[in-house]
Amino acid sequence: MRVKKLGILTFLLLFLVQTGFAQEKIVSGTIVDNNNIPVAGANIIIQGTSRGTTSDFDGHYTINATEGQTLVFTSMGFNEQRITVKSSNTIDVTLVEGLALDEVFVVAYGTATKESYTGAADVIKAKDLELSQNASFQDALVGRAPGVQVTKGSGQVGSATSIQIRGIGSINASTEPLYVIDGVPVSSNSSGQLQDYIYSSNNVLNSLNPEDIESISVLKDAAASSLYGSRAANGVVLITTKKGKTGEPKITLKSSFGFSPDWATDNWEPASTEDNLDYLYRVYYDAELSGGGTAVESNGYALRSLNNRFGKYGYIFSTDGTGPGENLNIAGKTDGVLNRDGQFYNWKDEFFRNAINLTNDVSVSGGTEKTNYFSSFSYTRNDGRVKENSYDRFSGRVNVIQKIGNHIEFGSNVNVSGSTLTGFNDTNNAGANYFQAVRSRLFGVYWPTDYKTGEVYTGRYGNSFAYNNLFHDNEWENSSKVFQTRVIETVKVNILPELVAQTIFSYDNTETKDHLYYSRLHYNGKGMGEVTEMSTNEKRAVSSTTLTYDLSLGLHNFNALAGFETERNRTSFQRSKGTDLPASGLHTVSTAGDTDASAYSWGNSMMSYLSRLEYNYNKKYYLAGSLRRDGSSKLGPDTRWGNFWSVSGAWSIDREPFMENVDIINSLRIRASYGINGTLPPSNYGWRSLIGYSSKYMSLPGAGLTNISDPNLSWETNHISDVALEFGLLKNRLYGTIEYFNRDSNDLLQSVPISRVTGFSSTLRNIGSINNKGIELQLGGKIIDTKDLVWSANVNASFVKSKVTKLSEGADIIWYDNVDRRAQYIYKEGESTLAFYGLEYAGVDRTNGVNIFYVNDPNDPNAGDFQLNGRGATYDFNKAKETIIGEAFPDVQGGLNTQVAYKGVSLGLNFIYKIGGYLYDSVDQHVADDGLYWERMRSQYAVDNMWTEENPNGSLPKVRGTDEEGVTQFSSRHLYDATFLRLKNINLGYDFPSSVTERMKLSTLRVFAVGTNLFTSSKYKYADPEVNQFATKGWELPFTKNYTFGIELSF
Amino acid sequence: MSFGLVSCDDDFLDVPPTNSGESSTAVESVADAQVVLNGIMRGLTDITYYGRNFMVYAEAKGGEVTTRTLGRGLSDMYTFNSTPTSNNFESFWNDMYNRILQTNYLIESIENVTGEGNYDNVKGQALTVRALLYFDLVRIYGKPYTYDKTSYGIPNVLTPIDALSNPLRASVEENYQQIIIDLKAAEELLPKAKSDGYVNYYANKALQARVYLTMANYPEALAAAEEVINTGPYQLYSNSAWVGSWASQFGSESIFELGIIPNENDHGNGSLSIYFRKQYYGSSSANGQYFASDYYLDKLEQDAEDVRWGIMGDDREFASEDIHMGASYKYSGDLALSGDGKSTATAVNIKVIRLSEMYLIAAEAAFHSDKELAATYLNKIRQRSPNLAPATAGTISIDMILDEKSKELFTEGQRYFDMLRLGKPITFNDDFNDLPITARTKTIDVTFDKIVLPIPKNEINANPPLGAQQNPGY
Repeated sequence: MRVKKLGILTFLLLFLVQTGFAQEKIVSGTIVDNNNIPVAGANIIIQGTSRGTTSDFDGHYTINATEGQTLVFTSMGFNEQRITVKSSNTIDVTLVEGLALDEVFVVAYGTATKESYTGAADVIKAKDLELSQNASFQDALVGRAPGVQVTKGSGQVGSATSIQIRGIGSINASTEPLYVIDGVPVSSNSSGQLQDYIYSSNNVLNSLNPEDIESISVLKDAAASSLYGSRAANGVVLITTKKGKTGEPKITLKSSFGFSPDWATDNWEPASTEDNLDYLYRVYYDAELSGGGTAVESNGYALRSLNNRFGKYGYIFSTDGTGPGENLNIAGKTDGVLNRDGQFYNWKDEFFRNAINLTNDVSVSGGTEKTNYFSSFSYTRNDGRVKENSYDRFSGRVNVIQKIGNHIEFGSNVNVSGSTLTGFNDTNNAGANYFQAVRSRLFGVYWPTDYKTGEVYTGRYGNSFAYNNLFHDNEWENSSKVFQTRVIETVKVNILPELVAQTIFSYDNTETKDHLYYSRLHYNGKGMGEVTEMSTNEKRAVSSTTLTYDLSLGLHNFNALAGFETERNRTSFQRSKGTDLPASGLHTVSTAGDTDASAYSWGNSMMSYLSRLEYNYNKKYYLAGSLRRDGSSKLGPDTRWGNFWSVSGAWSIDREPFMENVDIINSLRIRASYGINGTLPPSNYGWRSLIGYSSKYMSLPGAGLTNISDPNLSWETNHISDVALEFGLLKNRLYGTIEYFNRDSNDLLQSVPISRVTGFSSTLRNIGSINNKGIELQLGGKIIDTKDLVWSANVNASFVKSKVTKLSEGADIIWYDNVDRRAQYIYKEGESTLAFYGLEYAGVDRTNGVNIFYVNDPNDPNAGDFQLNGRGATYDFNKAKETIIGEAFPDVQGGLNTQVAYKGVSLGLNFIYKIGGYLYDSVDQHVADDGLYWERMRSQYAVDNMWTEENPNGSLPKVRGTDEEGVTQFSSRHLYDATFLRLKNINLGYDFPSSVTERMKLSTLRVFAVGTNLFTSSKYKYADPEVNQFATKGWELPFTKNYTFGIELSF
Repeated sequence: MSFGLVSCDDDFLDVPPTNSGESSTAVESVADAQVVLNGIMRGLTDITYYGRNFMVYAEAKGGEVTTRTLGRGLSDMYTFNSTPTSNNFESFWNDMYNRILQTNYLIESIENVTGEGNYDNVKGQALTVRALLYFDLVRIYGKPYTYDKTSYGIPNVLTPIDALSNPLRASVEENYQQIIIDLKAAEELLPKAKSDGYVNYYANKALQARVYLTMANYPEALAAAEEVINTGPYQLYSNSAWVGSWASQFGSESIFELGIIPNENDHGNGSLSIYFRKQYYGSSSANGQYFASDYYLDKLEQDAEDVRWGIMGDDREFASEDIHMGASYKYSGDLALSGDGKSTATAVNIKVIRLSEMYLIAAEAAFHSDKELAATYLNKIRQRSPNLAPATAGTISIDMILDEKSKELFTEGQRYFDMLRLGKPITFNDDFNDLPITARTKTIDVTFDKIVLPIPKNEINANPPLGAQQNPGY
């Protein structure tokens, strides 16, 4: 630091006299890192001027400078270096890699350095994203930053990803962050309408090619995000795309190919056909026995039932004895053209494939002093393991920055992308969900052909309701095509060196075309055939103009920002549907006998004023404040304007004189912030009392009230305070952040349940409050740092408590996580925001195999039919009371990332983990029931663990034929410890040495292999422990193991 | 970049929807009111009401149908396995109160309208429909009027109410009083001409006949039914025309018939057509859900030439079984699934009130005062079994009328309510396929608590005072 001060002083002195005897000369040199590898693309600027250059691929640079001037060397991922030009014409520089405190990253309406920033932001760089080879940049964020939870509701390729930052801040409005690409807020909804039909979500953010991303900043506290006002409560994700660097054109080619041969884990592996039929025998047997039948009658009834149900598929069932646990003799019938004796159809793998994925990217970038450009084209194709699931995308981008004269800079980012998604309904659906079918519906005795005639079987399989989708798959199709054009034009005018005006105008046109076809033979074709075409066009225009002013008065530094922004979103929708299709070859509405159409539009607008003031004293003490005023069409005229602000400060302790001699600590900093931001209502029109015209009758228009509205509907307000300690030890060999946050989300829109006698089930009010607080830790370091071997690691952890603090009239709200009502939760004051609510299961009575529930009578803990462990208990779930049975939030979760580089070889491991908390397995009730379902398959664990006289230690209840519904209740029976550790990605790469690349006239050549989900260690054993944001398991397609191999070269 | 700057911010920030209007200004003319009425009529055809569930409810619980397996859609109506939290068909409660709100909104809007125009017809229809909704709803949630009219009926709301109100149940008797008030108020507003798909004077009167019969007010029931029979523009189907009537719309017997149109309110694989059809016939989604019980078929078998056989078909799942003619094709046009003249077989109009029912009401109502007259009315329908001896004052009985009503109005939403109102035991054909039924006995009657559905737990959660008014037995 002393050196630096001296440097500045020297510089000032020299500046005063430089005009006198300044003599310009050519300075050149080589920039390398501490492993002596050339650093390409480093920026070299002469301090105090706008003159600069960039190093080439060999790290060489050349610049005109005069003695006494200071050269500032910067490059992403390295600490800044300042060197004063002396007599020598050669200045070689070794840049130190590390947690560069002065590295510039993107923040709200500007840039900042770690050193100066007073907010909480995590930065994820391109190279971290590349390690995981995901088609979606959101998926690549998993485990990368503390407090950032990345989850998926389905393993289907192309499906939506959900991100929650710092807990759950809303009940009814969005809990997803705001996404901003190159300074422009973008839509992050599921695009198109197909999810209303087959529940397959199409994530519009997938249109962004991850290879185009330079960095991602995740803004977490008020200081970081409040400048985004009414949409920032759940955090903000800022995405910056790549820009060209001054130098020769650089062409990069990247190609990868991969496959997904299997699921990431076991998923409710079904028991064998024989075991399943034996299981059903027990069910039917018990049905008769418990109705008063004798053993002979029960055996007779069970066999009759089996023969009735399964005889039509060509089998005859018999037993040797008449006991409840007989093993069936299964013989083939001989009265058909096919005899199935000794054979069962293997459905298990029928609908799944070894899915492939491939990606090809090409990019060209470069620049001159006046022009920088980056241009890319990419094609990626991801197949899902189910044949009806695939995603492909092409994406082209041109980013150009043109300097005009000395004052004007013109930027243009153009991105065009097109994607096609095919998906299927993976909710709890007997017909359409292939995964569910093979796990719980398609017995091995069902065949795709009729044994009697040999013809294809097209009906439903008995009471399991499954279909022969081997046939029906050829009778339907779906696709959702998204075509997006996004243009961002930026004009930056340097009015004065310290006064800059910038205008960004963005226009984004997203067209989604959905196609859904069922032939007249398909079970959804209603015997006539049906085709639906939908077009959803979202047009989004954003304009923002900002003025920034820098002022330094001695050691006092000021930066001020003022701006105005408008945003206009309009979506128009058209649907046309044709029924009664004449020929199977033509899947178009125009051929249909009967047609039906609809078209309308919706939208919203927003207008904002924003400002920020930053101050620092000698880069030691920092203060900042921001204020934004938002007006939104989503709110009524009286409530639509709101103010959002933040104040924050930081203290760079390491700059204090008393720290100068503390060698072990090279950086130490405290920052704190407080502020308010918000969340808008989800609906565009929630405040309006509406009458909808969607109820035609007798071909005449019809209308009806559609809601009970509150004209005073307002935002949800989010008050966040944040304190953090940042440190770097031993020359940044060890660095980290400890951060505490407290987030009070108030005025939460609550869908207050109301008496249905009013005509509606609920009305929206700004009532509820939620508190999220927690600690986030980040610790990183270089364990080994030698010329040849570098081993670095970082770990992040977030400890979050998320609680409901206030509800409308204190009344509890019972809610469910999705269309399938997989789990039941309760919002209750003082309890978790993800509190599972249901009966408390007490296991199996070892003496008789009956399930036991604790009664949990709030008035009398002993109430019940008998006592168990000193508490009232019962066999009858109807007598038990629902209570909070667990919460989904883990004690801690996060990621662990480590990177080893030895010469050209690099190995990266990216773990995610979760410790504590529960997950709710809603499939349990389907595949491990107690005899409720009379024609469903069970999992192996259900067969293995059921209580029988022979297996009195079985952990699952006895199988009954009396429609035992204990299993279908929401209860802790289906709750499992969610603790797991997963190797999310492993990346092995090899960079060929320059001796090889030079011969090939390449500048770099790299081959790599990436494995995803290759290792999982979990307390929960039945299926994949990586759950959705609500911590439930259902019939969604599981995650796969993926192996991808690729090559990247540039010249 | 300047569009926000040049326009006034209130304009810029006012973005109305394009498929909805403001409710406060939506009814300003008779045509507007008619549009809301159309929406109300459409609401009656929803799958949760006349479009399916109500019709199935009255049949599944009435003993004239049975089912082969449990666990399929709506089989819990048959098993009575309802609880406040599950299998309770709460959509009756939820959706019918929404329809009531729409009628309340329309009636109130008409009262507030300032401009010119004759709203009588629309208002009369809205009042009649409101009465119909209350009548059906109180029969689902309240004990029969004839059994215990002082017990809890359903909340009686006649205007749009505040979102946070906690309405409580009125008595069954109070509900019926309001139903009669609405019907009487509507009567004088309605035109007498036929009005396909809508309510006219005679639909109102016919509903009055039904309501009075349910209240055991036989003189009023008889008077209303006779007025429809004698002065209405309706005629009974001849025996030769009876079967064909199911394949046509708005026939000569239709007093109130709801229009079902493809791409509008055609319920397709969820329709009544599918629910009463033979398994997999015409659609792999046809589960063979409900078919006639042996008891119903025994009645019909009294006469092999009964014209009503014409709409019944074989319901066997497997060819190896005995022929069983329990599938009903009233909602499919005919046995060939021809529909009633539209592009799909499932878009078949719902006949809510037919003239035949008026004769049967007249017969039953007259039975208590004039058996000869009763026999005359009954025989008009009974002659559809040409080989059965006509009823006489000496042979006629309530059971004979009831049997005839069952034969004639099978799957038309009547049976269960007739049995309840008359306190008759209902026996279920559970043995047809050895169904394990635990929630009820094979035979039930009006003393069984679960003859009414529970008030849904979701309603009680939102409206806690109603918890103290739950139906007994739940």
